[in-house]
Amino acid sequence: MKFQIDKDVFQDALNQVQHVVSSRTTLPILSNVLIEADELGLQLSTTDLDVTITMRIPAEVSVTGATTLPARRLASIVRELPTSEIKIEVNEDNAATLRSGPSFFKILGLPNSEFPVIGEFGDAKEFTIDQKLLKDALRKTAYAISTDETRYVLNGVNCIIGEGMLTLVATDGRRLAMVEQDLEFPAGNESSVIIPTKAVNELQRLLKDSGEMKVSLTNNQASFELNDSHLITKLIEGNYPNFRQVIPGEAKYRVTVEREVLHSAVKRVALLVNEKTNSIKFTFADNQVAISANSPEIGEAEESIDVKYDGPKIVVAFNPEFVMAPLRNLDQDEVYIDLIDESSPGVLKIDEPFLYVIMPMRVAG
Amino acid sequence: MHNTYPLNVEKSFEPQQLTTLWNHVSDDLRSDLGDPLFDRWFTGFLLKSVDSDGVVLSAPGSMYAIWVEENFKESLILTFQKYLSKCDKFRVAVCAPIEDEAPLAVSGGDKVVSAKGRVLSQTISESKLLERGLAAGLVENFRFDNFVPGENCELALAAAKAVADDPGRTYQPLYFNSACGLGKTHLLNAIGWDSLRQRPKSKIISVTAEQFANDYIDGIQNNSIAAFRKRYREADLLIIDDVQFLGRKEGLQREFFHTFNRLNDQRKQIILASDCPASEINSLEDRLVSRFQSGLSAEIHRPGLETRAAILRRKRDDWDMKVSDDLINAIVERVKGNVRVLEGALIRVAMVATMNEGELTTDHVHEVIADICDVREGRQLDAEEIKRAVAEQFDVSVSIINGKKRTARVAEARQVAMFLCRDLTELSLVEVAACFAKDHGTVIYSVKKVKKRCEDSASFKSTVELIKRRLSRGGGTKGPRPNDSMMPEGDRFTSFRNFSSKGK
Repeated sequence: MKFQIDKDVFQDALNQVQHVVSSRTTLPILSNVLIEADELGLQLSTTDLDVTITMRIPAEVSVTGATTLPARRLASIVRELPTSEIKIEVNEDNAATLRSGPSFFKILGLPNSEFPVIGEFGDAKEFTIDQKLLKDALRKTAYAISTDETRYVLNGVNCIIGEGMLTLVATDGRRLAMVEQDLEFPAGNESSVIIPTKAVNELQRLLKDSGEMKVSLTNNQASFELNDSHLITKLIEGNYPNFRQVIPGEAKYRVTVEREVLHSAVKRVALLVNEKTNSIKFTFADNQVAISANSPEIGEAEESIDVKYDGPKIVVAFNPEFVMAPLRNLDQDEVYIDLIDESSPGVLKIDEPFLYVIMPMRVAG
Repeated sequence: MHNTYPLNVEKSFEPQQLTTLWNHVSDDLRSDLGDPLFDRWFTGFLLKSVDSDGVVLSAPGSMYAIWVEENFKESLILTFQKYLSKCDKFRVAVCAPIEDEAPLAVSGGDKVVSAKGRVLSQTISESKLLERGLAAGLVENFRFDNFVPGENCELALAAAKAVADDPGRTYQPLYFNSACGLGKTHLLNAIGWDSLRQRPKSKIISVTAEQFANDYIDGIQNNSIAAFRKRYREADLLIIDDVQFLGRKEGLQREFFHTFNRLNDQRKQIILASDCPASEINSLEDRLVSRFQSGLSAEIHRPGLETRAAILRRKRDDWDMKVSDDLINAIVERVKGNVRVLEGALIRVAMVATMNEGELTTDHVHEVIADICDVREGRQLDAEEIKRAVAEQFDVSVSIINGKKRTARVAEARQVAMFLCRDLTELSLVEVAACFAKDHGTVIYSVKKVKKRCEDSASFKSTVELIKRRLSRGGGTKGPRPNDSMMPEGDRFTSFRNFSSKGK
């Protein structure tokens, strides 16, 4: 195998695929990137047996072939190379030589036959979807994924297709983020799958702000085909709990507030958060919200911001991180906080089909 | 009548008591949280069980279960503490209403049994038992009634019996460790059989860690991981032998961690056995080590003289051999190794006795088993045994140690092996050099180097010490031991039978 390739193109592609490679693995081949060269260019693949990413990039291939090389090492070498052209040649023993200007490297690989073959997609449901739409939806929900490994069905985003809607949900038992987007799918594609955290993160990296992609779903695998990249992941098996049980009913009061103003105020006040209760207090009254933190052994902080609110005085405490997470990941200027009373879950909404349920902490007195 | 609080959680609760208790607790919670909040989250909740391990609530839906567990844990525990002698844990399970289990809770007349449904003391025919046990992976002949008790295993045996009587509630997990051939596997299987006899409907799985690994790999390969999880995570009693095999296998450990947690959450019994304490298993994740240590860890020691004699007498009777008590005493005086070695010695003596058809003296016996004694008495290690142990510790193969590869890790392993050969065996420099196909200068250099490194690095030193300990325990490796008995394990018994029938 022999080819010549542009350094930046190669480096970008290696960066995209190398996230999947785990640094500590029992199978050495999983640290390697599979490189396949044909007349059209290169195809790079990495896998951890759960998530597999493949990228196509242009290259001048003079001899076709395939090999696997250590992904991290290759990426760090390519990053440091001095010139923009790299010539790579791989012999039958999977030893690769890299030449770039004055630099010469030889790295040892493993035969491509050892690289795991990813399961075939037999009877899959297939449809296309707008990349930006999915990217936004993942961004708005992914931060609420549970990291508690004992509740493995919550370690991913629940993705539901049906009734003319695409619904994405993530929750960890204290808050829940949901996007519900009107979207017509061809009939017969109704399904509910749980995409694991790692695949969610990689997808967010791969998705672009324009263009479409092809999605295929089976019972236990999902495939996402973009223009020049392809991600296949195992799905989390099991049933996602019925999340509608925790979404509160009709709200009584609505607070309208500027997202960035609220975010930076919470961020400041949270500096003095009480470590024991890990909560900060929101006092809503007369077109104002006073955000305050008070920990006996450290000190206190308070900040008032103008909001639109004409209901009665409501005092409610939230975990500041749980308030900031959605604010960070939304891009609308205005957000709404819907409240029922001091102990019912609060709901954060925007002018788009999104909602975020957050459990209040109990305040003494 | 228990109208007075707090209630003692050590006693079992009647359904009526659970209902009353839950009414009290819900009233308190209601006034504490307020009606809207209480109705919002706790409608449809029931108190499922109470015991010394904590309180179990049942929820009408899994999302309710998760949110209540996350958000109301403290309130719940505080409230329960008012009514119970002890409450530091609780759990919310999603399950059918408690009525569904009513038949389990009452058995004939006024006899009320514990909430776990231990009422199922129905008898089961021996053939059914055998069929189910073998299907569960139990070994036929390992039962409590043919386990020879002794001072070396008092704790282990008592724990095993307690767990068989009341799985999931006494020692969780139960962890046996001992050198090989001292009865771990026997006890594991005995618990399985006894438990199955008492509760014929319970789901028992008995496997070695290696089988568990193979099932897991099959699951991955055939995309049937769900079936694998279903099988293991729904067991009532999970018995895993040779858990040291989990060492250094991260993916497998992760899977096992989840299996363990699931079973532990549901208070299903887990029993493990290994050739070393959990903390000494190579590269075992801390979270698993701590879980393994969280229950009871029982060590089985080498049997003493009397126990060895008792074991051999039992074997003699089982196998119908004609060996006098005196001869057995002569054997156990000399052979101090594990049970397999003892059996080997007994079989050999029995054979010679049959052949000679005359009286065997104790001197004869000593002669017949001389080579077994030699091997075991002085713990004469050989270079191969050392290489195996070092190879295992350094995660390389023996053939690589014997080979010419000189990467840092391999070279280090080889040096440690040479050092231990000099340290633990009587072999001369030249002999050690020959074992490694090097010259004696290399051996001198290696010994020096290892000594130096032991002085410089505490962790290196402890690694060397660990290998030494394993070697001296004789349980370091599971490789073949040519001197354990004169016949291959499986054939031992049948060969003896053939022979003795010929002799008659």
